[in-house]
Amino acid sequence: MSIELLTLLFFGSLLVFILLGLPLAFVLGGVSVIFLYFTWGFDAFYLVASKMWESMNSFTLVAIPLFVFMAMILERAGVATNLYRMMHLWWGGVRGGLAIGTVGICALMGAMVGLSGAAVVTMGTIALPAMLERGYNKEMALGAINAGGGFAVLLPPSILMILYGLITGVSVGKMFVAGILPGLLLVGLVTLYIAIRCFFQPEMGPALPKEERGDWGERFRSLRSVILPILVVLMVLGSIIAGIATPTESAAMGVLGALISAVVQRALTWEVIRTSAIRTLRLTAMIMWILFAAHAFSAAYSAMGAQSLISGLMEHIPGGPWGTIIFMMAVLFFLGMVLDPVGIMLITLPVFLPIITELGFDPIWFGILFIINMEIGYMTPPFGFNLFYLKGVVPPSITMGDIYRSVIPYTVVELIGLALVVMFPAIATWLPSMVM
Amino acid sequence: MQALYALMRAITCLNEWVGRVTAYLIIPVFFLILAEVFMRYLFGAPAVWTNELAQLVFGVYAIMAGGYLAISKGHVNVDIIHSKFPVRTRALIDVLTSAMFFIFMGALLYFGVSLALESMETWEHSQSAWNPPIWPAKLMIPVAAALLLLQGIVKLLKDILTVAGVALPADLAAESAPEEHA
Repeated sequence: MSIELLTLLFFGSLLVFILLGLPLAFVLGGVSVIFLYFTWGFDAFYLVASKMWESMNSFTLVAIPLFVFMAMILERAGVATNLYRMMHLWWGGVRGGLAIGTVGICALMGAMVGLSGAAVVTMGTIALPAMLERGYNKEMALGAINAGGGFAVLLPPSILMILYGLITGVSVGKMFVAGILPGLLLVGLVTLYIAIRCFFQPEMGPALPKEERGDWGERFRSLRSVILPILVVLMVLGSIIAGIATPTESAAMGVLGALISAVVQRALTWEVIRTSAIRTLRLTAMIMWILFAAHAFSAAYSAMGAQSLISGLMEHIPGGPWGTIIFMMAVLFFLGMVLDPVGIMLITLPVFLPIITELGFDPIWFGILFIINMEIGYMTPPFGFNLFYLKGVVPPSITMGDIYRSVIPYTVVELIGLALVVMFPAIATWLPSMVM
Repeated sequence: MQALYALMRAITCLNEWVGRVTAYLIIPVFFLILAEVFMRYLFGAPAVWTNELAQLVFGVYAIMAGGYLAISKGHVNVDIIHSKFPVRTRALIDVLTSAMFFIFMGALLYFGVSLALESMETWEHSQSAWNPPIWPAKLMIPVAAALLLLQGIVKLLKDILTVAGVALPADLAAESAPEEHA
């Protein structure tokens, strides 16, 4: 059978089984085992088990449950409620101020945790009712939360960056540092969009009446709420940048920070620890099983020799190296609509990365582009995770259709941010070259 | 039929118990890694064993919950088309696609066993400075695969009964976990 036909069959059957609702991990594993059998025979499966052992032995991966655990504890610690009160007092007087404040809190939470779900769920619970009550346009409000949640994967720490580092061999610490400026750029662009839109269309996000804005004393007292988050950010990022801790160790520092925050907030109970531990296990197990299956996938993939086929195909893309980059971005954007980021990463990176290095591009820079795409993927219909997290916490009057429509302008804004990082790679590469 | 239900309940119960116990392993992993950082900077004496032990615990932690996760459909899937079908059609599709699951798990179990046996022949150690035995962790690979495989069999039985039009007892029909999703 020709390699073209094999590839078509391989990806075709992946797609069919995914759409039939079989969990991603089992589709990847099952389809790969069948194709491995036909190319390398029965004994090739030994590889599947031995690769599993290899993943169990990766110290970098230990960071994943720790960062998840930290996020789960912080979510329960009630840090976000106080932050929201602070944003309310400081930004309430501005048109669109509550939405801007929401984006700001999401960014701060993103700098504490590496998952997009945490910020979406907490802000959906706290900020959304507050905005709707004060006459905010619902699409403006929903979109702000959706977009805000995504910052968590680009602003370090980030689980996706850990996986990217693991698959490509680039330094996770460098990826973390490289994400800071592009993350701030996107936060800035989204804020700008809200501010401009609400300035010209005050009905989208009216300013609060004077009596709700609080006085200066109240405002300054509310600033205390940022102390704990900043402490956590310093413990995690600070320990990596200062070279005190590896990304995995910084994750343990983050858990410590989260526990301290919970104690200060008087929210640390055995129940919080227990439920956080269970939710951490669920998410970690989900990621790890996809990862195990993806090892079988990459083995099957290279056994079939599809790598050379894809590189060959890439040569036919018009526009040279930049055409290739734009093509890859388009592929990632569309995959982001239908697949989850971990899956996309494990399927595409073994194909894309050799091409990227061959073309002479910086894998750190490409990693940031990749992560921005995943960030967008978290909120693009029909399957963006943030959409479902948000649907889980909104009042019944808000339909999935409202949520789908709300992300359109925010997606456009983030694509502009992506284009800027494509055009000016220094946004991603300058900071790591300075500090590391 | 009652015997079959009892077996399905027993497997689900086992996986739930494994999941609950495994969840707490995150706590020793956290303390071990934190201890390493503190010992290095406060006492200037990094320990040889903390990170490696954390690593071994993590390895077991990462694989053991596969079956637990399967109880509540925790393995992420794309259900936008799937959820549109009526319940029986859905069960029939799941019966057919489960072939992929069993092929994967079968391969993993078979070679997991041979990997573990190989390791146990020599009571394998890690060959690091601390040199702990690593065969117990490797042994967990076929155990974890078997747990997930068993839960997959429970799911298959449920789907077959649904296709056949048998009404399942309420506790077996329920698919949501007591704990919320992450």
